[in-house]
Amino acid sequence: MTTLSQQIINGLSLGSVYALIAVGYSLVYSILLFSNFAHGGFLVVGGYACYFLLTQYGFGIWISITGALVASGVVAIITERMAYKPIRDRTSMTLYLMIASMGVSIVIENIFVIVVGGRFRALPQDTFPHDLFNLGGNVTVNSFDILSLIVAVIFLGGLQLFLNRTRWGLAIRAAACNLNTAGLMGVNVPLLISIVFFVAGLLAAVGGIFLSVRYTLYPQLGGTITTKAFVAAVIGGLGSLPGAVVGSLLLGLAEMLTAGFISSQMRDLVVFSMLVIMLLVKPAGFFGKQVSDKI
Amino acid sequence: MKKCLSFLSVFVVFSMFAALPALGADTIRFGEIATVTGDFAAYGTAEVESVKIAVEEINAAGGVLGKHLEVIMYDCRTRQEDMVNAARRLVEQDKVAAVIGPSGSGLCIAATPIFARGKVPHIGTLPTNPLVTVDEQGKVRPYNFRICFLDPYQGRMMAYFAVKDLGLKKAAILYDVSSDYSQGQREFFIDGFKEYGGAIVADEGFRGDDVDFRSQLTNIKDSGADVLIYPFMGKSLPLAVKQARELGIKTVILGGDGYGDFMWEVAGDTLADTYWVSHVDRYDPVLKNFFDKYQQKTGTECQEFMNAVMAYDCVYWLKDAIERAGSDDPQKIRDALESTKGLKLLHAVLTMDEFHNPKDKDGVMLRCDAVQKKALFFKKVRPE
Repeated sequence: MTTLSQQIINGLSLGSVYALIAVGYSLVYSILLFSNFAHGGFLVVGGYACYFLLTQYGFGIWISITGALVASGVVAIITERMAYKPIRDRTSMTLYLMIASMGVSIVIENIFVIVVGGRFRALPQDTFPHDLFNLGGNVTVNSFDILSLIVAVIFLGGLQLFLNRTRWGLAIRAAACNLNTAGLMGVNVPLLISIVFFVAGLLAAVGGIFLSVRYTLYPQLGGTITTKAFVAAVIGGLGSLPGAVVGSLLLGLAEMLTAGFISSQMRDLVVFSMLVIMLLVKPAGFFGKQVSDKI
Repeated sequence: MKKCLSFLSVFVVFSMFAALPALGADTIRFGEIATVTGDFAAYGTAEVESVKIAVEEINAAGGVLGKHLEVIMYDCRTRQEDMVNAARRLVEQDKVAAVIGPSGSGLCIAATPIFARGKVPHIGTLPTNPLVTVDEQGKVRPYNFRICFLDPYQGRMMAYFAVKDLGLKKAAILYDVSSDYSQGQREFFIDGFKEYGGAIVADEGFRGDDVDFRSQLTNIKDSGADVLIYPFMGKSLPLAVKQARELGIKTVILGGDGYGDFMWEVAGDTLADTYWVSHVDRYDPVLKNFFDKYQQKTGTECQEFMNAVMAYDCVYWLKDAIERAGSDDPQKIRDALESTKGLKLLHAVLTMDEFHNPKDKDGVMLRCDAVQKKALFFKKVRPE
């Protein structure tokens, strides 16, 4: 029982970080109908921005975090303007956008390799709480895990409020139904897309900061973990934000329980089997819209 | 996608080393393959710098056989397929006299057929798996050499140290299922540990690029182990130490030769009182001059010191072999490498055995000190 509770806690804390990343993925997908593989790059930008602001420039934690969020958001906007907008202007095929995003993710990764090197770094550990709480028996929970769950809830809740209560949120929801029609109705589409990318970059930065505190920071960080977040977004239903959250938590739990009770080598097998089964049984995921031409 | 990736990585590395002197006829060229990106990036970066330092020193002192040494470097991205590509390029296109690096066993093993086919000698800096220099039938691979001791020795050393020095008899192991290095060390540890009277109470695996080990560690926590064995390398090491302590595991942690000072940044004080096998003692006075030079040249402290020292000594070993061969012919260099005897290098006196492994090298146990944030010399261990 102790082991089970511990594994569930482990799973939820991993899932909450996946959720922040998966929601960013889904947000871009819901508007532009393509999977932005450069999302992992935004996460790395956020992580490094926070790292350098904290350690090299000596800013406080709040300024550093804010700086990282803005940096990621801005890089996301620039990426969209430089790599995706020219393609969107020329063709309506979202496949090209996806291919471009793969290229962008490699470019971002390699820029970091050249500029800061491939060394593993970590945000200073004492800037975040790391106390252990004993929940009875032998079950422990780290205060950082609780913090990451709370922050994930705050950011996802904030995003929900933004989408439901603001004019731009309304525009985004309209665009998610049909981008072209929204444009015809007077929505400033380029600005809207920039806002969406900014918000996605912001969420990625939060994920990046949490990942680099919990794990480590290196140029390829975006690669592996965003693949998982992408799978989570697909399982939950691409384009659906609650779906991304549910998919992420499910995935985190599935990973930890498989590794704990079956075998750690089966972990990825289970994750990707879940993906295949989901695609066979319910291709649109738990909360996704049934559409045929999405990639 | 993959093609595009390898093209990019080659491009990146070329631009990184564009500052090196242009190729000329009065030079002896050798290759260097390092893990500049990927999981072992930290080790590879140190390796590249120390090879450059050694080459500069040798050239400043007049070179080898009156010619300058010249190094051609490639990044293998800590991936076996890129390792094979890099080896092929060095052997077939660049026609180098010999190849040095990288540190990983799996990487070195992957490229063994290329060196054998091209008849170019290869020296691994820190590949400790036996299969680097002998094949599955136990026959020596004629073109492969190494400068470090082996996993059977290292695994036994860890087992001996745990049982005889620390008096710990219930071991839990966490290992990387995708790494030859990790698999080998685990196996030899288990053999030795059982022989010395210990028992394995948990044996958990993970896959190379995993960053979260908490589910395995939760099982280990419940196993009642009194020593936790970490036979792997790279970013996984500090992460696994940190996550174990965060789950409240207080047992002794004992690891192979993957330790690097970079681990302090990731794992912080949780590294305190962990023990690591090492090939060299970082604070040995004879190494000071080298580390000072490294610091001067790169502006950073040499954090992956084991691999750096090994790579530096590899270049000097190669220089000695070329001098004794009296030529830059790969075949003659190979023969000279094979017959190395009593060669005084920075970190040890090198003599080759018939399997292309160094003879009688001492192993050192390091212990992480929380106050100085360093792994300090703990004791020399030679398992019986």
